[in-house]
Amino acid sequence: MTQSSSLRVLVGLGVAAFAAACTGDRTAPAARAPEPASGPVESVKVATRPSGDIGDRVADAIVVDFKDGTTAEQIDAWETRWNVDLELNSVEGVDDGIALAVGVDDVEGALEQIRRDPNVESAEQLVEYSIPETEADEAEAIPLRGPAPEDSDGYQPNDPDWDKQWNLRQIHMPKAWQTSKGKGVVVAVLDTGIAYEDNDEFKQVPDLKGQKFAKGYDFVNDDDHANDDHGHGTHVAGTIAQATNNKEGVAGVAFEATLMPVKVLDHFGRGTSADIADAIRWAADNGANVINMSLGGGGYSQVMADAVAYARKKGVTVICAAGNTGQGRVEYPAAYPGAVAVAAVGPEGQKAPYSSWGKELDIAAPGGDKSKGEQRGILQNTINPQDPSKSVYAYYQGTSMATPHVAGVAALLIAAGAKTPDQVEKALFQGADQVGGKEWSDQYGHGILNAEKALKALKNPNPKEAEASAAPVAVAPASTPASDDTSDSASADEAADLAAAEAPSNWTPLFFAAGLLAVTLLTLRGRARPGYLNVALKPTFLIPALLVTVGLFFLPWIGGAHGSSVLATFRLPIPDWLEKIIFGRGKTANPLVYSALLPGLLALFGIKGKGFRPIVGGMAIGFAGVLAYSAFAGAPALSWLPFTFLAIPWLVINAALCLLIARGMLKKEAA
Amino acid sequence: MKLTGKVAFRDIETGIWVLEGDDGKTYQLAGGDRKIKKDGGRIEAEGEVVKGAMTIGMVGPVFEVKTYRFV
Repeated sequence: MTQSSSLRVLVGLGVAAFAAACTGDRTAPAARAPEPASGPVESVKVATRPSGDIGDRVADAIVVDFKDGTTAEQIDAWETRWNVDLELNSVEGVDDGIALAVGVDDVEGALEQIRRDPNVESAEQLVEYSIPETEADEAEAIPLRGPAPEDSDGYQPNDPDWDKQWNLRQIHMPKAWQTSKGKGVVVAVLDTGIAYEDNDEFKQVPDLKGQKFAKGYDFVNDDDHANDDHGHGTHVAGTIAQATNNKEGVAGVAFEATLMPVKVLDHFGRGTSADIADAIRWAADNGANVINMSLGGGGYSQVMADAVAYARKKGVTVICAAGNTGQGRVEYPAAYPGAVAVAAVGPEGQKAPYSSWGKELDIAAPGGDKSKGEQRGILQNTINPQDPSKSVYAYYQGTSMATPHVAGVAALLIAAGAKTPDQVEKALFQGADQVGGKEWSDQYGHGILNAEKALKALKNPNPKEAEASAAPVAVAPASTPASDDTSDSASADEAADLAAAEAPSNWTPLFFAAGLLAVTLLTLRGRARPGYLNVALKPTFLIPALLVTVGLFFLPWIGGAHGSSVLATFRLPIPDWLEKIIFGRGKTANPLVYSALLPGLLALFGIKGKGFRPIVGGMAIGFAGVLAYSAFAGAPALSWLPFTFLAIPWLVINAALCLLIARGMLKKEAA
Repeated sequence: MKLTGKVAFRDIETGIWVLEGDDGKTYQLAGGDRKIKKDGGRIEAEGEVVKGAMTIGMVGPVFEVKTYRFV
């Protein structure tokens, strides 16, 4: 692309960019290094915003996508009818039918009127993107064909159509393959099936020959042969693990990974949330490390949400397509907590016009954009939709195509040592190429997938964050390192909760409590000091102290904590129960819960009832143990406190107050 | 439910037929017969939105056509 078009690209519906792209194409030989700009480009008309602002709606401008082939004369006629000044967006405007109107007084009113016209494919308020120059240079280095210069020295597969896979160069696969090819990682493809075997009328497609497949299942026909009778699933599976460097067809992202074919969509590409929820659990139980779901729709389903949470809890990374509505709502299952939601971008790294976006979005990956040419789609080997026994190489576009790029890179990360979905996600997001300098946006999530950088991020995570996650933590809300990334969806929190619930109980706070008990008793003199073991082993003291510091640690032994977040909560120390029950989940703990308040209130009763005293004493010592441990671990971020450095003094002071209360409660009355 | 709108082919995924409803929503078409697949044709259709249906298209709710006529 020419520089001027890349520097500031103005997009309505994201589509106008392709006009610019096309103009660039025409002047550009197929495979070449970036070269200096060559004059202005028609489509760059209204780029008035400072660079760095992306995705801003332009207040008085609308973009109308007419049916292809609409003539300028026709558009002129509508101008008068709609009372707006329409202008074809570019020289290519006649082909793609995209027109702009600026200076519109009543945008909503005009849009309503225009959308009613059958000749209009879509109309909406103009969205303006501008890419900072540094980003533009990067975007430019991704030619449609031929290796980008910085990727020419990585692993170059000998697949004959490798040069058509702009998508794999966009995410820097040649360098990434030098580190990992996904060996041994099982990626379940929940889709229309995979052409993975010769079975009756079904034939394995040639570019999956020699690949590894795990035992799958067909939930549509209820049998063991998840053969593809549609074509979608095989294409998606190809992006993940097409046979590569085999002198046949094209390459795949994680070509040494093992594919698990799971058929949940019928020969029309349609399925039910019930089947899919079943399949998610089945895949998680049968050894999948990653689940790819290039499907969506149907609205919220608790059954599906639970299934996704279950998979995540079992350590499975779940990657889903954001949807193809082009609107600001991420489809389910991508929108469920615990799922990675993937948007699609075209060859220049612009959000594809069809791609859904929204607050649950996590990352963007190449999904293609064929509005300016078939070869701008994603090319993989699949079956002929009209005859499942025949092989074809097809360019498809969609967030379905973007999703397996992320699933493939997730497999590379796991093969390279990532142990948990949290680690996979963190590396994916940290390694992503930020768009417009933003850490997160509702159009691109954390940015555009970059396999090479994700693998680097896994090996060298941000030192500050690594330290925080390595620190021992007593309290669940603090187990997610405090981060200034406000964009994080609820999914990370929920996953952290689930992970915490699944983890073995943390006994360290109890040891802190035991030590503090000894210190407290030493401050008592003579007859007022009870024997250490006399106190510590008294059930009325020990049980409250245990509950406060460790929680119902025995629940998993009696099979109680599995699959229930309520029971899982009770496996946490009592301060965390209160935190969750009163304030719900969050990254920061409430200072009132993490204080001497509760032991203090209980002590008021303890003064009256003598039998109550050891219980309050046990709780107070327990609270002191938890607070002291939290302070020691440097863990909690306390909400409401204006400065985080106050958190540790707060915990220390309150731990001391708890000890004072305990001292009062345990003191033997001089008889 | 009764819907009117424009039938359209979208080259997304493996190719999806949609009904761009006059209610402003886009529905993924299902049911009917193959003649319904007329890009740009306006139809009046009787049918139901399939609850809980998930698809590769992800372009909107699935509208299962029982009867339809071009208008």
